[in-house]
Amino acid sequence: MERNSEDARNPGRERILARIRRALREPRPRPSESGTAGAIFAAVPDVVGRFQKECAGNNTECVVVPDMRRAPRAVAQVLASVPAGEIFVQDAPALRRMEPAWQEVRNVQWSSEGRASESSMATITLAETLVAQTGSIFVSAACGGRGASVVSPVHIVVATTEQLVPDLDAAFARLRESGAAAKNSFLCLITGSSRTADIEKIIVMGAHGPRRLVVVLALSSSWLPLTAEP
Amino acid sequence: MSTAAQEFLRAAAIRSADLRHRRTIRQAIDHYDRAIERTRSRFDDWEAARLRCREIKREAVNHLDRYLLEFEGHVRARGGHVFWAETSAEARQYIADLAARRRVLTVVKSKSMVTEEIGLRPALERGGVRVFETDLGEFIVQLRNEPPYHIMTPAMHLTRTEIADLFREKLGGVASDDPQELTAVARGALRGAFFTAEMGVSGANFLVADTGMIALTTNEGNGRLGTSLPRIHVAVAGIEKVIPRIEDLAMLWPVLALSASGQPLACYNTLIGGPRGPDEPDGPEEFHVVLLDNGRSELLADVEQREVLHCIRCGACLNACPVFRTVGGHAYATTYPGPVGSVLTPNLRGGERFQHLPFASSLCGACTDVCPVKIDLHHHLLHNRRNIVRSAKRPTSERIGFKLWRWAMMSPERFAFLSLLGRLALRAIYRLGLEGSMLDPMRSWTKVHAPPRIPEKSFRTLWGEKHGAK
Repeated sequence: MERNSEDARNPGRERILARIRRALREPRPRPSESGTAGAIFAAVPDVVGRFQKECAGNNTECVVVPDMRRAPRAVAQVLASVPAGEIFVQDAPALRRMEPAWQEVRNVQWSSEGRASESSMATITLAETLVAQTGSIFVSAACGGRGASVVSPVHIVVATTEQLVPDLDAAFARLRESGAAAKNSFLCLITGSSRTADIEKIIVMGAHGPRRLVVVLALSSSWLPLTAEP
Repeated sequence: MSTAAQEFLRAAAIRSADLRHRRTIRQAIDHYDRAIERTRSRFDDWEAARLRCREIKREAVNHLDRYLLEFEGHVRARGGHVFWAETSAEARQYIADLAARRRVLTVVKSKSMVTEEIGLRPALERGGVRVFETDLGEFIVQLRNEPPYHIMTPAMHLTRTEIADLFREKLGGVASDDPQELTAVARGALRGAFFTAEMGVSGANFLVADTGMIALTTNEGNGRLGTSLPRIHVAVAGIEKVIPRIEDLAMLWPVLALSASGQPLACYNTLIGGPRGPDEPDGPEEFHVVLLDNGRSELLADVEQREVLHCIRCGACLNACPVFRTVGGHAYATTYPGPVGSVLTPNLRGGERFQHLPFASSLCGACTDVCPVKIDLHHHLLHNRRNIVRSAKRPTSERIGFKLWRWAMMSPERFAFLSLLGRLALRAIYRLGLEGSMLDPMRSWTKVHAPPRIPEKSFRTLWGEKHGAK
């Protein structure tokens, strides 16, 4: 029903499609040279080392901790340098369990209570996957919504090495596997903190997005168990 | 000669003589070239990456109906709307009507050349809507009330001092001309607009068919705020932007980032497939995609030039073009300047008005060398020239000139004799100090350049001496 009424209000649709089909009746001959089978990018053997190196290059702070047990303290240390004010946190079990580490000093707003507010001083989220080759972080709407990774001046991502893949091909394979594109109306591959080069092509950090992007990366694949408190 | 052509020549002449402009552009492009140099080494095989990207776009463009329908189906399944606009006017009207129906007072726009193409901002403003360009470069040119200079770097023609003066006049509170401070001033000026706007308008770098998502590449984060906070998001895209699979982005994103700004990846590569989902904390209530034809299906029918629809609008051909660097982006008076603009515009806009553009090229081929999707740009410029000469009546002087040229060069002896005469005549004219006068056949060159030294021997003579005369 919806579809039919929408199409009826849009007569151009059929005309454009008809023109496209008419135009494509004459096929374009294939160009003689076609894609090679060779590697376009070199393989990434040491994913953790490469991720750290790329982060250093693109203005992402990467804090490596031995396991998830140490993550809450690492997050608290980052928060210690953030000016007073509310923080916005993705409502996920892993982050709920970390709350004791910062609840005394911070007023926490959970993503289940609404969108990230304009005044939040920092946001804490998980990620879908991390990419070593470019030092990037894939987030989705599930990671606290669209605003969680962009409205506040500091974005802290908590992740494990199990989420770290060598390159973009592997990252898209992960997304395909988890069905993230079907489950979320929003995905974003974040590489470094917000910047612009619109004035004389000179790179300036901190345009509209976060000025600081911090990844707390646990070297073990297991998440913090419910019972064990450090 | 049409008025648009005369305008172009006038604007080009003024800009070419503007040495400060030339210095500004050279500096900006030097920054860009150095960044490219640094980043290209991340590719083991850049040539293979270009071929891969061309294959992706070729597959999409040659099955355009199938992929567009697939894209549309997915967007609608998620609760988004897709509108197919045959012309700029239809696209403008759809968005302006939507804004009026939803009582939109403020629109935040992210950078999008296709919204420039359809003239969206003035159309919304006529309806009483306040429109904020939120990309820093676009924000600057909006304050100056002029079109973007470059498709990637809209304010490339301005120095930090000029931008500081502009901000001081229009916004106030600017102490220095440090780019860092100027960026902060713009951020502050736009912050409120993001949180009050009812509608965000974006373009799309790609339309992903198999997931029904638009892909949006930005560095500043303005495109992300504008598509997250307002309750309506409208994305406008040419029909040629569709790509088959989400996995294609693993190649297209790094290639676009390198060619556009010399980065390994842009800061934010966002995918949006619909309005806010049922379990999601934020996002717009409405999501609209406007698919624009506006002449593209005509270009699709031209098998010779179809591949021009592969263009990903990175701006690399503008930066590489000696003509663009000299005459500047505004001289073209088109939405898309530079080599790709000179190929696209006469095709998309038709008529006689833009027929001079394919001639604004030295055919050096630098554009083709840098094109990340390997569009044979300089040959398409040549094809356009051929089509124009065939279809339109050229000036009598030009037709006689070419007839004479053809006659002269068809016989080696005739050619040698006439070039000897030419050299003797030029030498005599320059010795008499008549360069640039009516007697000087080279006057369009010698008006602004010192006359060249006329060599004693012709190329043919030198060749004969070196390799043995035939």
